[in-house]
Amino acid sequence: MRAALSILKKDLRMEFRSKDSILSMWIFSLLIFVIFNFTFEVSRLVMLEIAPGLLWVAFIFSGMFGLNHAFAVEKENGNLRSMALMPVDGGQVYLGKFMSVTLIMLLFESLIFPIFIIFYDLQLSFQMFLLIPVILAGTIGFTSLGTILSAVAVHTRDQQILLSLLLWPLVSPIIIWSVNLTGMVIGGDITQGFYPLLTRVIAFDVIFFAVSFMLFEFILED
Amino acid sequence: MRALTDKILLIVLLFAFMTSIFLIFNWVPPIKASNLSEQVAQKIFYFHVPSAWLGFLAFFIVFVASVAYLWKRKRQYELIAVASAEIGVLFISLVLITGPIWAKPVWGIWWTWDARLTSSLILWLIYIAYLMLRRYLPDGSKRANLSAVVGIIGFIDVPIVYYSIRWWETQHPKAVMASGDGSLAGPMFFTFMFSLATFTLLYVYFLRKRYQLLVLEDTVNKQFKEMEIL
Amino acid sequence: MLLPALELTKVSKDFGRIIALRNIDLTIQSGEFVSILGRNGAGKTTLLNIISGVSKPSSGLVELYGGDPADTENKSKLAVISHEVFLYNNLTATENLEYYASIYGVKDAEQRIKDVLQSVELMHRRFDLVGTFSRGMTQRLTIARALLHEPSLLLLDEPFTGLDQLAIGILISLLRKQKELGRTILLTTHDLHTAKELSQRYLILEKHRILHDGLMADTNPDEIRQKYFSSDRSGE
Repeated sequence: MRAALSILKKDLRMEFRSKDSILSMWIFSLLIFVIFNFTFEVSRLVMLEIAPGLLWVAFIFSGMFGLNHAFAVEKENGNLRSMALMPVDGGQVYLGKFMSVTLIMLLFESLIFPIFIIFYDLQLSFQMFLLIPVILAGTIGFTSLGTILSAVAVHTRDQQILLSLLLWPLVSPIIIWSVNLTGMVIGGDITQGFYPLLTRVIAFDVIFFAVSFMLFEFILED
Repeated sequence: MRALTDKILLIVLLFAFMTSIFLIFNWVPPIKASNLSEQVAQKIFYFHVPSAWLGFLAFFIVFVASVAYLWKRKRQYELIAVASAEIGVLFISLVLITGPIWAKPVWGIWWTWDARLTSSLILWLIYIAYLMLRRYLPDGSKRANLSAVVGIIGFIDVPIVYYSIRWWETQHPKAVMASGDGSLAGPMFFTFMFSLATFTLLYVYFLRKRYQLLVLEDTVNKQFKEMEIL
Repeated sequence: MLLPALELTKVSKDFGRIIALRNIDLTIQSGEFVSILGRNGAGKTTLLNIISGVSKPSSGLVELYGGDPADTENKSKLAVISHEVFLYNNLTATENLEYYASIYGVKDAEQRIKDVLQSVELMHRRFDLVGTFSRGMTQRLTIARALLHEPSLLLLDEPFTGLDQLAIGILISLLRKQKELGRTILLTTHDLHTAKELSQRYLILEKHRILHDGLMADTNPDEIRQKYFSSDRSGE
């Protein structure tokens, strides 16, 4: 755990050193809402229906930004090999990277979400707090798979494309469910199957995390 | 010995395929359908469903071989995994091709974002990504490790993908093997099982051949290396 | 009888079409300084990777201090210096070392970091980002990074490549000091004169095998150069 925290600390330090990239990421997700508004000229009612999906598209893009970054910095001076040399379990390295990627994605999400509320004129009600576990569960699912696949993709020339290629199909169940859950909360209809579905997302988060945790050792090894 | 087994397998396959074509088009009675095109289209079922099953089997083998590789670090397991992934993609491609051919006359559309269709497409994409990854990486133990990891995660994801989309309303015909109203009548069942067995045999044959070819490539390359060294 | 620092028994690394090492038998005692010579592609880097536990041999046995090189305890005794510097450009020199100190569990880290920075003459730049360093300075910092946790086994993969005179001087004097401290050192290099100056023993790796294992005192560097490096000097 000590090693994982060291990795987390180092990553956060580096991320916050380049504040520009955080700002540009935030503007970028703003643009997603704007562009979708242009490309789908639909009524407000339809817009509300696709809003949960839109929110997650913005989240995914911000997550991809962090994931692409996460191992690019490890590659620059051979640090991936250095990680293999460390007296630390592969799982600890995974845990450290997972935590930093997740925290950064959650930060982006907390920046994106207020804009989303304003653009779609959503009513802030007590029920909206249910979005917190939904977003947490969806994000952790996305980053637990994303972290290991980012470490895989970084070994290739077209790192960014390959990461999308690997990650999106695999993470699609989590995203589909997260969009559904978000829709239920925003639509004010959480009676039907909300909690079972949320539990299911959390269960698969655990599976993805555990499998990645165990397999990460093999990625560092030559 | 290996060559002989392959020859026998090939001959058996030829007869099996001729028999199943006979069974499908001449022997099994046509379904009760409103029009002829639907009756003809239904025949595709005997190719479509076995292909899907074989796709799953192939990806299961990728999973098993990947685990075996990470455990034992033997090249042969890596090669089995790749060979099986390639064949799996081939069979799922067949599923994605035969599906729309059937759907057009019956549903009136080629494609719909239906549960079964979407999950098959996602499955296909997962293993395309697996093969793409391998193309990007230079040969070596690093590539073997990375692709084994993806092979394992990919297969664990398969049931989740199917599960996640299941609650969508599906237009897709129900799983026909289940007993009850939808179950297959005698001749249809026999024809289907025969076709399934034939396809499985085809998978085995492909896997053997592809594996042998990959080993051969290794041998040739190694011999070139030896010549350089000496 | 003291356990050797390193023992390789019939170690081979070949994978599919790649042959990297064949049948390596090698014993290195604690405190030895061994140079590994050979052409590019002869398998030097693979050998170091296998010793450091990053790479697994396809057959044979590797023992580091009587155990598996991939064991956590063994990994903390080891340091690698290569052309890859293992540093983060977006962190300062001190931050980089702090990171490694916490990973390797270095005791009294603050003082230790100061010491190693002093030894590579980088104290005046300790709060600057590594990204702003010159090549030579980065290399010096990577020496500091490697020595930070006082490793008992040092693996140096072409450490002189791309170094300026100052860095070469510092590295050589630090290596001498490590030798005196009784550390085990393995060095791959093209620089035969330096190798002769520093090490007692040398190996020649050729076509993925150990071709020769002898004492430096008995050799003439120019002779070796003529024999093994005449057609290839690209690594220098």
